Amino acid sequence: MMPWYALLPLAAIAFALGWWASRRRNARRSGAAVNELSSDYFRGLNYLLNEEQDKAIEVFLRLAEYNRDTVETHLALGNLFRRRGEVDRAIRLHQHLVSRPNLSEPTKTVALLELGEDYMRAGLLDRAEALFSDLVAMNAHAPSALRHLIAIYQHERDWNKAIEHARRLEVMTGEEEAPMIAQFYCELAERSRQHGARIEARDYLDQAFRCQPDCVRAWMLTGRLRSEEGQHAEAVQAYEAAIGADIAFVPEILPPLLNSYASSQQMDRAERFLRELLEHYHGISPVLALTRLYQQRDGQRAAVAFLTAQLRQRPSVRGLMELLEATMDRIEGEARENFLILRDLTRKLLEGQAMYRCSRCGFGAKAHHWQCPSCKSWSTIRPIHGVANE
Amino acid sequence: MRLIAILVLLFFVAAGVVVGALNADLVGYDFAFARVSVPKGAALLAVLVLGWLLGGLTAWLGMSLRQRRLQRQRRKESGKTPAAA
Repeated sequence: MMPWYALLPLAAIAFALGWWASRRRNARRSGAAVNELSSDYFRGLNYLLNEEQDKAIEVFLRLAEYNRDTVETHLALGNLFRRRGEVDRAIRLHQHLVSRPNLSEPTKTVALLELGEDYMRAGLLDRAEALFSDLVAMNAHAPSALRHLIAIYQHERDWNKAIEHARRLEVMTGEEEAPMIAQFYCELAERSRQHGARIEARDYLDQAFRCQPDCVRAWMLTGRLRSEEGQHAEAVQAYEAAIGADIAFVPEILPPLLNSYASSQQMDRAERFLRELLEHYHGISPVLALTRLYQQRDGQRAAVAFLTAQLRQRPSVRGLMELLEATMDRIEGEARENFLILRDLTRKLLEGQAMYRCSRCGFGAKAHHWQCPSCKSWSTIRPIHGVANE
Repeated sequence: MRLIAILVLLFFVAAGVVVGALNADLVGYDFAFARVSVPKGAALLAVLVLGWLLGGLTAWLGMSLRQRRLQRQRRKESGKTPAAA
């Protein structure tokens, strides 16, 4: 009888062959999966680059279904949903990601940051605030979280908290946030002024000057406060300092400045200042102000002569409109009718024009805003210089 | 490629049938607790199949156990994080 162990060498060879075949099969399967994954990933990326977000979402959704552990795919999908305005889907996706037990700490904080942005976009500011505060406390993505918190406090007009967090951001990143903090103090000063708390308003303005000594808005507010208190000479000084700080804001500053000149009976000083301003500033506002000044002091003829001479040097639709208004009384008959048509046309042309533009995002506005309604940057909205504008 | 694989497979099946037919006589095995008599060819085939299956199973078990260990390790690494309300 043949002993059973005589077959053992044959069994060992079969075992080795079976083991090798199984390993090879597994390796091939995972390799195929990786290949399929990466080709899908690049296809999704391609759609993203071509601004075909619908197709990109389709590809990434399939990727996420294929491999439920791919965190990056989920993050990309969440971002896409948020950008397309599907905030509820983005929230669900990021919440699911955060609740995963096997997620590493850095990935979890990224997901939390994204979730906070979803909440912000959905208008759930309290939830977003709680999340970002947690992230700052954990010192995870703290600068981004602080920036979001500052945006939330700006939206809620909680300027004290905005200042506190802007200072923390300044310490954390080393970047200068002083101009923004000065604007927050100006907001506080404006609020105090409206409530009649002048001393408090002045304190806030002092803080704004400490942050940014050449803060135009703080100078303008100082001028307004002085003017309301009847200190017109001091108001004139503040408004002149505002123009000295940033000459671009001349169209905003000139009307209250001219009022203060008139109230303090310093019209000679006004003329000198405006004449000097004409040399440095190439807009039409000082020309129009001087024209009105000459009209009151020297009469219509002198004013029109000055305006005509100036318009040859700096052509402007607003200047032309002023000239038409000034000369209308002296014209009669058919010429008057033509002048009226021209005046109406000029008025309509001016009505449709944006007078201000954000230097950062290009947002156009008819009125001045200290914070751009579109990109939320401070002091970036400036008068447009052109024939139909300033 | 597929045709070659099918031809090789057919060759081995034919070889198996021939070897089985040539070794149809019974052979006895003594496993100490039992004695079995089976055809020589069948015993050869059974040993080969058993060896192959055991080898494959061992490789699969080894890989899946390693994956589980890695997952447990990752779970341990993820610490405390704030709750997303």
